Amino acid sequence: MARMNCNEFWNQLEQWMEGERPADAHAHLRGCSNCRELVEDLDSIREASRSAELADVDPPERVWLSLRSQLERENLIRSERSGWAATLSNWFGGVLSAVPRPTLAGAYLVALIAVSIALAGPGYRRFNGAEVPTQPLTAQLNAAEQSAVSAMMNADPAVTSSLQKNLAIVDNYIALCEKSVQEDPESEIARDYLYDAYQQKADLLAQITERGDSR
Amino acid sequence: MSTQAPLRSQLQRKSVGVLVPGLLLMTAAPALADRLEQHFKVEAHPVVTVHNPTGTVIVRAWTKSEVMVVAKRATDRVEVDTEQNGNRVEIMTRQIPDNASPNDLRADFEISVPEDTELQIHDDSGGVDVSNVLGDMNVETIAADVALEDAAGYLTVKTVDGAFKCLRCAGRIEASSISGNFQFIDLRSFHVRAQTSEGNILFKGEFLPNGIYQLKNYSGVIEVRFAPGDSFDLSATSLKGKVNNEAKLTPSSHRHFLPRFGNALFGTMNTGRAKVELSSFDGTINILKRD
Repeated sequence: MARMNCNEFWNQLEQWMEGERPADAHAHLRGCSNCRELVEDLDSIREASRSAELADVDPPERVWLSLRSQLERENLIRSERSGWAATLSNWFGGVLSAVPRPTLAGAYLVALIAVSIALAGPGYRRFNGAEVPTQPLTAQLNAAEQSAVSAMMNADPAVTSSLQKNLAIVDNYIALCEKSVQEDPESEIARDYLYDAYQQKADLLAQITERGDSR
Repeated sequence: MSTQAPLRSQLQRKSVGVLVPGLLLMTAAPALADRLEQHFKVEAHPVVTVHNPTGTVIVRAWTKSEVMVVAKRATDRVEVDTEQNGNRVEIMTRQIPDNASPNDLRADFEISVPEDTELQIHDDSGGVDVSNVLGDMNVETIAADVALEDAAGYLTVKTVDGAFKCLRCAGRIEASSISGNFQFIDLRSFHVRAQTSEGNILFKGEFLPNGIYQLKNYSGVIEVRFAPGDSFDLSATSLKGKVNNEAKLTPSSHRHFLPRFGNALFGTMNTGRAKVELSSFDGTINILKRD
């Protein structure tokens, strides 16, 4: 029997996450640390979504309801994806429909945002044309930010101040990067920096939410 | 497994003895200066986790097969919990009353561990200082600075605006921050990946053969100090900033993507045995000779 490679495993990832686990996929995982880590991450996210409590952070419904369609509308992701991106997207879609909506609060929301942004892949797939309409996504992230920051109300003032200062820094970089991309839509470097800035914001919101949840 | 009473109960008992005379002398702040010490027998490659929202965490390696935890609380409103589960020791501070002021939650730790210990440290504000620990390490902070010295293993450090200094570290290093400054001095690492948005990055030391060094920021200064004998393949790009170079580079034989605007420098120093990638959005990149 030919050994399964990573691409073949990714094509079966959705089935794997749903419990269909053939022997050749098991064999591939045993020998591939990258795929094993990916599966472990997905398991962790699923567990987090199951165990998340209802009330601590209740993000605006529109953030997670419209995220994917928003990203597609803005050409930040393609509607036709292939390979692992499509698999992951489908799997997350399954999670979204299977998990009660309130449990998508907090860190999981932010992880979802990060993953959704990550699904955009390399820069040339994120921006197809000269126009870079990123503002609506920024608004979505800002809404998530307000929700996350409100969870930090009772935190150490020094920590809260630091987080707010750095949120402002990241927002500033997002604005600068957007401007650069608008000036030169074909610049891969500018797009990569914009992508990094969004990821930083998602990471920061996740940190804020985690700390809010743990208090 | 520890045979001693839980540290929390010890802290509570000791706090009574310390707090009552203290209140007689000073009726204002509920200051506390207790020192609690606890020992845990461990085997090879133990894991120590520390979750301390506010305060310093100092970790030192020693030759004993045990973990020693010394805790000092700022007030009796913070509680220190420790737990051993097999070869894993968990240390956590938490508030006793819900309405405790964040300033009352400070706890400082001095922890001694075997050198092969794996460390996982969360410390929002205060500071983290680790020396001579050779196991893998994960440190996450918000505002706390992080200092690692003679560390090895897979080192991951994440701060929001805490500075990170790594002195004579080996192994693999991954560091990220938003506004924290990074200093990498005399490393023995083959893989360094560091990204900070607003902070500066200083790399002063040798680029090891076959090593990969990726330093990236948005603004601020990336400064690399090289020795004449260093051998590396260099890529330095600042989209909107400057690239200043003192290295004698030969044109790179590799093909590079050239940015449409900005400053970029590609070339090879000596035989190009290490790979150095420096990138900034609008910061300055300095490639300077080491003294």
